[in-house]
Amino acid sequence: MFKLNLKIAWRNLWKNKGYTFINILGLSIGMASCILIFIFIRYQMSFDEGFKNENRIYRVVSSWAYNDGNQFFSQGVPLPLTPAMRNDFSPYIEKISAIENSVGLIKINNVAGKEQLKAIENVFYVEPDFFEIFNYNWLSGNYASLKNPNSVVLSKEMAEKFFGNWKNALGKNINYEGNLNYTVTGIIDDVAENNSVPLKIMLSYKSFKDRNLEKWGSVGSNSESYFKLKPNVNIETLNGPLKSFLKKYYTEKAPGKEGHIFQPLSDIHYNDKFGNFSGRIMPIKQLYGLGVIGFFLIITASINFINLATAQAISRSKEVGVRKVMGSQRSQLVTQFLTETLTIVLISVLIGSVLTEIALPGMQSLFDAKISFSIFQHPIILVFMLLLVVFVSLLAGFYPAIVMSGFNPALAIKNKISANTGGLGLRKILVVVQFTITVTLIIGTLVILQQMKYIREQPLGFNPTAIAMVDLLNDSLKTQRFATFKTQLKQVPGIKEVSFCRTAPSSQNNNGSTFSYNGGKDADFQVNTKNADEDYLKTFDLKLVAGRNLVKSDTTNEYMVNETLLKKLNIRNPNEAIGKMISMGDMKAPIVGVIQDFKNKSLHETIDPILIGSLKPRYFYAAIKLNSKQITGTMKVVEEIWQNTFPESVYNQSFLDDQINAYYQGEKIMGTLFKVFAGVIIFISFIGLFGLISFVATQRTKEVAIRKVLGASTIELVKMLNGSFLVMVFIANLVAWPLAYLFVSKWLNGFAYRIEISIWPFALAMLISMAITLITVSIRSYKAAVANTIDALKYE
Amino acid sequence: MIELKNIEKYYSSKGIKHYVLRHVTTTIKQGEFVSIMGPSGSGKSTLLNILGMLEEPTYGTFEFLGEDVTSLNERKRIELYRNHIGFVFQAYHLIDEMTVYENIEAPLLYKKVGSSERASRIANLLDKFNIVAKKDLFPNQLSGGQQQLVGIARALATQPSIILADEPTGNLQSAQAEEIMQLFQKLNKEEGITIIQVTHSEKNATYGNRILNIQDGVIKEDSPTQAPQMGGVV
Ligand SMILES: Nc1ncnc2c1ncn2[C@@H]1O[C@H](COP(=O)(O)OP(=O)(O)OP(=O)(O)O)[C@@H](O)[C@H]1O
Ligand SMILES: [Mg+2]
Repeated sequence: MFKLNLKIAWRNLWKNKGYTFINILGLSIGMASCILIFIFIRYQMSFDEGFKNENRIYRVVSSWAYNDGNQFFSQGVPLPLTPAMRNDFSPYIEKISAIENSVGLIKINNVAGKEQLKAIENVFYVEPDFFEIFNYNWLSGNYASLKNPNSVVLSKEMAEKFFGNWKNALGKNINYEGNLNYTVTGIIDDVAENNSVPLKIMLSYKSFKDRNLEKWGSVGSNSESYFKLKPNVNIETLNGPLKSFLKKYYTEKAPGKEGHIFQPLSDIHYNDKFGNFSGRIMPIKQLYGLGVIGFFLIITASINFINLATAQAISRSKEVGVRKVMGSQRSQLVTQFLTETLTIVLISVLIGSVLTEIALPGMQSLFDAKISFSIFQHPIILVFMLLLVVFVSLLAGFYPAIVMSGFNPALAIKNKISANTGGLGLRKILVVVQFTITVTLIIGTLVILQQMKYIREQPLGFNPTAIAMVDLLNDSLKTQRFATFKTQLKQVPGIKEVSFCRTAPSSQNNNGSTFSYNGGKDADFQVNTKNADEDYLKTFDLKLVAGRNLVKSDTTNEYMVNETLLKKLNIRNPNEAIGKMISMGDMKAPIVGVIQDFKNKSLHETIDPILIGSLKPRYFYAAIKLNSKQITGTMKVVEEIWQNTFPESVYNQSFLDDQINAYYQGEKIMGTLFKVFAGVIIFISFIGLFGLISFVATQRTKEVAIRKVLGASTIELVKMLNGSFLVMVFIANLVAWPLAYLFVSKWLNGFAYRIEISIWPFALAMLISMAITLITVSIRSYKAAVANTIDALKYE
Repeated sequence: MIELKNIEKYYSSKGIKHYVLRHVTTTIKQGEFVSIMGPSGSGKSTLLNILGMLEEPTYGTFEFLGEDVTSLNERKRIELYRNHIGFVFQAYHLIDEMTVYENIEAPLLYKKVGSSERASRIANLLDKFNIVAKKDLFPNQLSGGQQQLVGIARALATQPSIILADEPTGNLQSAQAEEIMQLFQKLNKEEGITIIQVTHSEKNATYGNRILNIQDGVIKEDSPTQAPQMGGVV
């Protein structure tokens, strides 16, 4: 019976080639998009998974609550926190480990003692307990060795990079940052990309030296702490001990009230309040958003199917009638129609898989991730595809099957089923739903693009073009070479300005400090401190609104502040601030200049109060303003000079433009996704519309012919055929507007600098959708209106 | 009002021409009631379609109201449909989705007749054909004869000068057919409307005043009907 059904299904699909094609086209594109979204979500959800007892693993993170209502978060913890917690939380915690991220120069010498390899690498200082919390796959050696200083564990990849074959690596030496040799005591298998701690080189934590090891008042994002809960301990029970812990250790008065949060491992990849060592974060909301888009895509494609199937139902009413008279049960008919749907859906999922494979490289480069579409590696993908097939088959096939199988045989045989059967009303509603989705997406896309353009064109308050940021080395030995280095750079013809500084005006590396103004008590907010030399203003084209520039100095003798700082201190006239003292800890210096506000972070955030003073040991970058016509050539010279100045290290540069663009990576991806998926949904909706109008035109051929002999002109006929479609799309626009408004205003709220929502994206979306509708349906209805009508009237 | 000269119509398939009409030359004057007769497949419908400009002849000239309409542009043709020609079909060809009233109204809308004028014309026709009570019904709620009455009312709505009818009673029983024929005759006599009908029935043909007999695409006989047929019919 099933085989027969399949055969009949095949014949029917072949007979209605046009509609079948439209259905398969829409469904396969829709399903490909869904599969792509699914494998992306699957990849994102796979982060930090697969560790033993993973739901007992937590990270300790920090928060500060300020009196002005602001709250700040950090992924890091004060360095003394880990040993203190190990002691105070021992009833609840099985193991706790500090992990410190650092970047430095690695050197490998060959047997003869000659330098063989030199590279800047990301390293982690870890305690052995870290490996009791996270079980990695050990290829050789063990973590017990990390108890002792000067041991290093390598990932397979690093071991091979340094020593050719990882099997030879054990016992070999590597040199980190010139002063210390580490012996390789263990090799672990490579840590997969979907990990928030991308371990490659692990040094003994015992070898980590920092002046803040005992300080509770300093938190850096490089210092994290992980722990594993004892079995059967509820994380809530730690809240009480945490309160007394905070009271016990945070004894100094500080403007921000310190707090700690125990963040579950499974939250780390999704929570954008905190960063992580891998730098990969996928806010869960965006994943939901993608899921919703995928759902919409499949709904849109299924609506095409339902509409075309019910529209065709009338032409099949006779078949139904005859079958019923022959004794077919309704359930058998439903099975038959569902078989047809299933056939289409299966063909679509196959084509969809091919499309997925084709689109995958684009997706991988967009997200910069190794997303896999291997159903052998991840059988869940196959399960998803099967569920998708079942879901779509039922969603798309069930209703038409019920309608068709429900025809009254007597009427069906007499061909008296009128054109309205099969839910003309429902069909209209579905088209409205479909176009509501489409129009919402068009509006969303327009607003996102508009906001991105707005951000690109926002005045930053400084000029970031053609500025190279070259790393400086700033231990006391090397800072002595700064002056010569700068003089040499300034002699290069392609270089316009050079400034040594801690960060560029806009940076993700920010440093907040407590301060007091004019001898008063500590301000209730922190100031963002930047250190820079006297060429900072010139190099970045920053504007002074009062006072003067810094005078050349290696230490902090005077400060420049920005307007926001004065605003926060309630100072109206910038000249009033000139000469007033700023105290920070034991440092004290007068304000000599006020800088016009500049955007010091991404435009998601507002401008910080900023303080700039000279301080040579805090210059981490040489900012080099280049003549934009000869950047490449000049940078080669810069590198040469740098190598001669700092021969013991490795050169590293980046461009400020690129750094700033990188702030909006997320939005850029979002914009691309919206553009692509809006395009896909528009396409699916409109081929569906084309199918429907084709159907309507065919069905109304006779009526068109009659009207023609009654004197209707072509335009009148086209109008008649188009009318209801335009009305449906118009209604869809009206429904979509408030929905889209809610969505875009919510999205825009995430930006401190944002466009105001105007009528234009809405009007434009309406124009686009109506215009495409008009074109789509007119093509077909014009064809119907000018067709030779006589055949429709001739024979009956 | 109609002049046909040497009209020919053929369909070619595989290079062979199949003639449907050959050397058809005739004149039909204003006020005539012509019945086209002949065996099945002889080309009657084809001739009527050419007269109604639904098909184009492959050869020959066709003048309508003194104008050469052999190949007419669409605007002109629509113009003629709106003002001069009414069609009545064997299968009625009413629009299923519209009520009786709306069906009759349709051509008036295309002709852009004002609404009060429209209402009065339709009221008149409904009254004349005794279908006032049916005006809000849909075609499938009417009998065949009633549907054909609506079809004729619709054809008359624009007050055409000529009615072309292809076997208007072909689907009807003889009593209903007779009623339709009497109606045609009355329209022809009292309102001077030219009527050209295709019919298989000798009896129907007697209602008219001229018979064109076609065989194999050629007019074999062109004769007036036996007068006086008016007798006591009306
Ligand atoms: N599109 C066409 N292609 C080929 N031949 C056609 C076409 N239309 C009509 N014919 C042929 O032309 C001939 C005349 O057809 P027509 O419909 O005029 O006959 P008729 O006299 O009206 O017959 P009937 O009394 O059965 O209605 C027929 O042999 C028919 O097969
Ligand atoms: Mg015929």
